[in-house]
Amino acid sequence: MKNAAIPFMLTALVTLLSCDPEPLLIEQTVGATDNNHSGMFILSEGLFNQNNSSLSWIDFSTGLPDSWTDGNNRSYDSFLKANGRRLGDTANDMLLYGSRLYIAVSESSTIEVVDAATCRSIKQLSMMTDGKAGQPRHLTAYEGFVYVCSFDGTVSRIDTLTLVSDAAVRVGRNPDGICCAAGKLYVSNSGGLDFNRPDSTVSVIDTKTFTEIARITVHPNPGFIYADNNSVYVISRGIFDYGTMDYDSRLHRIDTGTDQVTHTYNLPILNMSVADGKAWFYGYGKGGTIQVLDLAAGIITDSDFITDGTVIECPYSITADRISGRLYVTDAADYVTPGSLLCFSPDGRLLYRIKGIGINPNSISLCDFKVRPASAQQEEQLKGHVSKVFEYRPAPGQFVNLLPEYVETDDANSMALKCLNALRGNSMITLGGLGGYVTVGFDGPIVNVEGMDFGIDGNFITGGAEPGIVWVSADVNLNGLPDDPWYEIAGSEHKAGRVISNYTVTYSRPSNPDGSPAWRGSDGRSGSILRNTFHKQPYYPQWYAEKEVSFTVTLLPDNMSYSDGIWTMASFGWGYADNLPNGTDGSRFDIDWAILPDGTPALLDHIDFIKVQTGVIGCNSITGELSTEVSKIFNLNPQDR
Amino acid sequence: MTSVYKKCLTIACALCLLFFEVQGKALSDTVRTEVIQEVTVYGARGSDVSSVSTAKSADRKLMEAASALQISDVLKYFSGATVKDYGGIGGLKTVSVRGLGATHTAVAYDGVIITDNQTGQIDLGRFSASRTESVRLVSGPDNDLLQTAAMAAQAAALTVNSYRPRLETGKAQCNAEVKYGSFNTVSALAGVDLLASRNNTLSLQTEWLKTDGDYPYIQDNAGNSQRKIRDNSNVRRLRAEAALFSTLTDNTELSVRGYWFLSEQGLPANILYNDNAAREHLWNRNGFAQASLKTYPAKRMTLLFNAKYGESYTRYLNPGINNSMGKLDNRYNEQEGYLSGVLLYRLAERLSASVAADGRYSRFDNGNGDEQARPARLTLNSSSAIKYASERTVLTARLNHVVTAEKTLLNEATRNYNNLSPVIGVNWTALPAAGLHLRASYSTTYRLPTFNDLYFEQIGRRDLRPEKGSVKSIGAVIGHETEKLAISLYADLFDSSLTDRIMAVPGKNTAVWMMKNIGCVVTHGVESGLEIESASGKIRPAVNLSYTYQRSMDKSDKTSYTWNHQLPYTPRHSASAVVWVVSKWLNMSANWLYSGEYFSNSYNGPEYRMPAYYEIGCSLWREFNLRDYTFTVQSECINLTDSRYELVRNYPMPGRQFRLKLKIAL
Repeated sequence: MKNAAIPFMLTALVTLLSCDPEPLLIEQTVGATDNNHSGMFILSEGLFNQNNSSLSWIDFSTGLPDSWTDGNNRSYDSFLKANGRRLGDTANDMLLYGSRLYIAVSESSTIEVVDAATCRSIKQLSMMTDGKAGQPRHLTAYEGFVYVCSFDGTVSRIDTLTLVSDAAVRVGRNPDGICCAAGKLYVSNSGGLDFNRPDSTVSVIDTKTFTEIARITVHPNPGFIYADNNSVYVISRGIFDYGTMDYDSRLHRIDTGTDQVTHTYNLPILNMSVADGKAWFYGYGKGGTIQVLDLAAGIITDSDFITDGTVIECPYSITADRISGRLYVTDAADYVTPGSLLCFSPDGRLLYRIKGIGINPNSISLCDFKVRPASAQQEEQLKGHVSKVFEYRPAPGQFVNLLPEYVETDDANSMALKCLNALRGNSMITLGGLGGYVTVGFDGPIVNVEGMDFGIDGNFITGGAEPGIVWVSADVNLNGLPDDPWYEIAGSEHKAGRVISNYTVTYSRPSNPDGSPAWRGSDGRSGSILRNTFHKQPYYPQWYAEKEVSFTVTLLPDNMSYSDGIWTMASFGWGYADNLPNGTDGSRFDIDWAILPDGTPALLDHIDFIKVQTGVIGCNSITGELSTEVSKIFNLNPQDR
Repeated sequence: MTSVYKKCLTIACALCLLFFEVQGKALSDTVRTEVIQEVTVYGARGSDVSSVSTAKSADRKLMEAASALQISDVLKYFSGATVKDYGGIGGLKTVSVRGLGATHTAVAYDGVIITDNQTGQIDLGRFSASRTESVRLVSGPDNDLLQTAAMAAQAAALTVNSYRPRLETGKAQCNAEVKYGSFNTVSALAGVDLLASRNNTLSLQTEWLKTDGDYPYIQDNAGNSQRKIRDNSNVRRLRAEAALFSTLTDNTELSVRGYWFLSEQGLPANILYNDNAAREHLWNRNGFAQASLKTYPAKRMTLLFNAKYGESYTRYLNPGINNSMGKLDNRYNEQEGYLSGVLLYRLAERLSASVAADGRYSRFDNGNGDEQARPARLTLNSSSAIKYASERTVLTARLNHVVTAEKTLLNEATRNYNNLSPVIGVNWTALPAAGLHLRASYSTTYRLPTFNDLYFEQIGRRDLRPEKGSVKSIGAVIGHETEKLAISLYADLFDSSLTDRIMAVPGKNTAVWMMKNIGCVVTHGVESGLEIESASGKIRPAVNLSYTYQRSMDKSDKTSYTWNHQLPYTPRHSASAVVWVVSKWLNMSANWLYSGEYFSNSYNGPEYRMPAYYEIGCSLWREFNLRDYTFTVQSECINLTDSRYELVRNYPMPGRQFRLKLKIAL
């Protein structure tokens, strides 16, 4: 019987195990298109205290969300993909300003500054003060500054050039909404953390002096706040009523001229999107009815915006796109399953629905430029590659302002960052004409081993050498900065004595941005960087404030020749960048080649910094000026970190 | 109380005797007591062959072999039990069985139920394994009819039995124990047991514990994982107990216990990225006095009375809150009075019946001076049971009833609850010669809404109904016991359902969350175990294996994506093993815990997958006598392989730890 009981039980066990249904997971749906924008970021806050906020990118050209393989799973978190780490806990708001995304991660108390084009974090600002979490909540921007309100009762100002939080102003309790109108910031002081004693004011901050200039009394517990025309609208939730077991909310309209509440509407609004005197809002009740409000009259003009019967389970954010007239609503469903995004046509028909993005999607940002989230999985392959670009200072050239691309908000720092992204992404940067350079650093030293030590890839094609001089330096003062002596890599032309050291070349900014920048050398030679028909952007670096820019360089001999209608740029023997094919010893370098200024070997056992500088001058009407291009600078023998 | 404990053993052993040794001889309840007084049992066997449901217990040997510091450590080795552990000594530890939720496990200390009306959760980490004689967990109806009504009403009953001194005449016994372990964990226990007079034994025990709990862990963040040190995990605890065991007459036993517990601890926080500053602090002061009287007033009758008065004070401080005070500083006081009585009567040779009634009054005050409900609840439990025990069959049936009366200082109180729950179980000896028993049980369970569920700011709702559950179980157990060897092998299949689960969900205003009776969970599972222990010989090895399968499915809403998803924090597969060898020279043990993968969210998306883990430990100890002293030296290694895992997401568990223990008895 003992023997009989076991098979009986095993049979029962197998029956039991096999009859249980397996759980179904949400399938991602696709088909998001929009001719007005390149794509859309969706921020999902995740679950409280689960560290699972995420950022998704939906590319409208393909209609697909950016996805990647994380272990065995498919992930739609482009931030994780690009940075190899997660955003943190409860990312509460996102703002696309210029080329960057600013993300307020509330429970982790950080502001993540993200390069939108790659989803790479440029800077993580900690909002902790004396060990206390600041809990940043919402963001707005005005004239080069991003403002963030935090639950610790402050509004902080972030300089978008330096990415430093340079000032903070104290407002009321637990500010939970911020917007900018008429050069002033309006901050709703919720006091929501004092549960039944909320605050009931809106702080007004002058952006010029960055001081609080007024406090407007409103219905208790103000939250979301919006600017439109000359008005600011604020939703106040009121005090929790134990009788109705609910809040009693109001919508206020504040005149930005007088900073007075001019209208108060008794409307149960949870959240809305405001554009041109109209508001699309959702209120209480499941089913997520969207209504349209005429803000001037305070009248609901459409009590059910959705015309095709689409059901939204739990609306979590609403965004009206002024350009296309489309309305985007995120649906948090039951708050524990991945949320979705619904896009409606201006007449209230569902155009598409994206399911299975992060949990609790709370904000979207439509984007107009090309975004290609980088992949952190490549990072491992990038071991020993450039990890810092200290300085990018090209001379004028046909690819300047294009490789990498310059936009109006860029400065030297952001251009250096773009170079870093390019060099880590194996895409080309130009150094422009003679003297233009880039200075880079690495995660660890490049050790001088037997044989070749590092490689530099360029855009070499046979007969198209654009040789650059390579400099190396070791961080002898250990400050991490390239302020130590530089040693020149002496290549074949150095050895042959065909170079001119300490040659100075000066370029001047053309009066017309489309003009040709002129140059003059220290030996009296002069000329200009001729424009060609292929590249129509300005050739003078647009972020340079100076009218003239000078470079000191070792000038290599002229390598350009013309015969039978073809210009040929000859390669030198060895020891120069962008001079011989990538992947061959011609693009590799030995630290032993480094020399002291007097020409004797520098005898370095390792280096930490590399500088590449265009070493030739020459221009022709077909291929334009000679400019060294670099796509990769890497340690050939990376050590494990 | 200890008498109940003893009674449990009485019946367990009596039934063993019934089936294995004195078959055919009918034993009345009173006669059983007499039989027991001749048998000295220091711990129950792991699984109980004659039990109508799965009953598991751990004696001192198993606790030592499993390197248990806290009671929760040993419960991890019980099949069918899911221990939720927030890590470290101070992290909350609760146990649930068969997918029912921790609030469906009633916990008793020496027979008297411990309740927490505020949260419903009993932190099992508070019970020290030192001076605990046994721990018993019954999932389903209990064979013991002498059970209080409140304990009988739950799907699972966990009883912690403290050590009861057994002194010879005229002797006093002193004991001391010192432990030192990793992360600066020190504990010291000292006590004395006195034979005050012929019929009175007095026991005084005190234990002090301190730990820094600053264990290293790895914060997983994809490629950027960081090594960190657990912060704010320190604990200071002091426990003092005085107990009097009195034999009043030949038929009457009384025990009285005073208990005092003081603790101060940091609350290890959820490890969030970039904000690891744990700041929460918790103070606890808990004192109670309880008395238990067991008497046999007539030949066929047993009477048990319990009484308890307790007070507890909790202060919770979070100085990191951005409210106007800059902190959250909550103080709670709970007072409780409890009275219970059980009458057991043997109606006929094979038939016994019992009636039990409990009254418990508890009052809760948050002591913060602000406007709060300040609820008070009177809970009246009653339970009637019958048991039929023949040579081959044990049948028990029980009907539990609860009624409450509640009032609040502010606003309306919740309605009064009134609930009936039947329980039935049978054990049939299929093959007496092989020792094969088949058993089946059906039990119903409920849990009352807690004060937090009902009255917590904004989220609480007064119109909640009790959560209801039922468990069906069938199983087989084979038990063999000879002088040399005891073997038992069991497997139970169960099927449980929980309806009207009390959960926080968004309300009409989706920004306002509220408690609702909404969830439904169905669990199919298997719990099984094998225990082998050799009882004689110079070297006595023992093995204790368990395996549990639990498929807990969310059946709340068919249209929801979480339909059929596995309940969070419930692994489908879990297993454990403890192997130990007792010898004259040295005792040693090795233990192994395994948990298959599980999920941290009710939506079983891949990002919520918590990986499978295992933990291995080992221990060496030796007992020796020096003059009048008995010394025990034990060295333990917990998590030998330094396995890194989290039981609760973002609450890392400690890695490898060592502990040294010295025990002296005089």
